[in-house]
Amino acid sequence: MIDYLMDSAYVKSLPYLWEGIQLTLYITIVGLFLGFIMGAIAGLGRLSKVSILRWISTVYVEVVRGTPILAQVLFIYYGLTAINIGEITAAIIAITMNAGAYIAEIVRGAVYSIDKGQGEAGRAIGLTERQTMRYIIWPQAFKRMIPPLGNQFIISLKDTSLFSVIAVGEVLYMAKQYYNTTFEIFETLIMVCIFYLIITIPTSIILRRVERKLDV
Amino acid sequence: MIKVRDLHKSFGDLEVLKGIDAQVNEQEVVCVIGPSGSGKSTFLRCLNLLEEVTSGEVIIDGDVITDSRVDINEIRSQVGMVFQHFNLFPHKTVLENITLGPIKVKGMYEEQAKDVAIPLLEKVGLSDKADAYPDSLSGGQKQRVAIARSLAMNPKVMLFDEPTSALDPELVGDVLQVMKDLAEEGMTMVVVTHEMGFAKEVGDRVLFMDEGIIMEEGNPKQIFDNPQNPRTQSFLSKIL
Ligand SMILES: Nc1ncnc2c1ncn2[C@@H]1O[C@H](COP(=O)(O)OP(=O)(O)OP(=O)(O)O)[C@@H](O)[C@H]1O
Ligand SMILES: [Mg+2]
Repeated sequence: MIDYLMDSAYVKSLPYLWEGIQLTLYITIVGLFLGFIMGAIAGLGRLSKVSILRWISTVYVEVVRGTPILAQVLFIYYGLTAINIGEITAAIIAITMNAGAYIAEIVRGAVYSIDKGQGEAGRAIGLTERQTMRYIIWPQAFKRMIPPLGNQFIISLKDTSLFSVIAVGEVLYMAKQYYNTTFEIFETLIMVCIFYLIITIPTSIILRRVERKLDV
Repeated sequence: MIKVRDLHKSFGDLEVLKGIDAQVNEQEVVCVIGPSGSGKSTFLRCLNLLEEVTSGEVIIDGDVITDSRVDINEIRSQVGMVFQHFNLFPHKTVLENITLGPIKVKGMYEEQAKDVAIPLLEKVGLSDKADAYPDSLSGGQKQRVAIARSLAMNPKVMLFDEPTSALDPELVGDVLQVMKDLAEEGMTMVVVTHEMGFAKEVGDRVLFMDEGIIMEEGNPKQIFDNPQNPRTQSFLSKIL
């Protein structure tokens, strides 16, 4: 039984896929981390009193949200090959820019949802606008960002599969390479999907718990 | 202490304050009454520049705060404000709500700030709630914490915008008592209120506002027992 399992097409694909799994997680985590910084800047930019900041942020968000991510990936890859960046760097930039735009909307919505009275109370005791944001608005808004950020994590994780078109060795790309030689297409793809589900389902469950907790 | 000269405030095309002249002397308690929408809150919010004034002058303790060169944050730290809906910081404990200003604005150490906060909590009768979060407090307790939070900045003036309107009737008394104590200690106060009892008992002067101007002012006795302006008469007959 054990021998049979170890010998099956499913298990045999694993060592090969493992490399891709690592890269997928690496791109997702680094990309989302940078994307959060990008999104925080653009999200606060959209709420800024300075019209040029508002304008730049809005254009960025609308362009990214209004175009397919695959086009963005190719754009960044071919656009930046001139300066000779590797495809992994291109992938990280693509996730950063793409997730950043969606996170900007998450940040904007969360900050906007905090009662105006909070900011006024902060200003009334003499805090500067920055201090009010930092000590009063942001901590409350950040809590509200957690569920949608988790959601964005799931989306970006799946989006990394698009990088197979620029030969980034993420999990789907590795799967293709593997089944092109073994022809065990379905077995390999099932393993790929199982990998995604192992990450996404627990994330969803945790998110729902967090959401319920934040609600009360 | 406060001088207001020909204060105008518009929101877009809507002129809400149409030329207010007023004065609040040191240690005086001035109550502002008037119908809904008459501009009472807007007037109060102009006194600590939570609203940008359209024209006119506000002078607090000799500083022309409407001058664009003044440090707004510095001014605000000297003018306490208590809101109708308390606006406590829900992610901070009662003690942290009170010490935030002293620490971040006045640059106190945490220990110093605590030494300021704890007597204030005692004063508003909530020493046992220092480590509680605002969500676990009743409305009346929240408002008393909010008062303590303002007092922690050691303000020259306290502004109150309908501090008891959001409270259940049985909780109003405790908050009014704290305000009364403050008045007796000589705090300069401007209070927008619907509590005519408080205005009569504690107020030194009452301003009646309607349609963006001060229609009538005088001591509580004059305003409540012998109002001259027909608008004041009709307002008072509706609410008393
Ligand atoms: N930020 C704002 N933008 C536009 N209009 C405003 C704004 N704030 C207040 N107003 C308008 O100004 C007028 C006066 O409002 P204000 O809140 O000062 O009245 P009030 O006397 O405090 O009334 P209430 O007793 O209901 O609190 C109202 O018509 C209100 O709609
Ligand atoms: Mg009001």
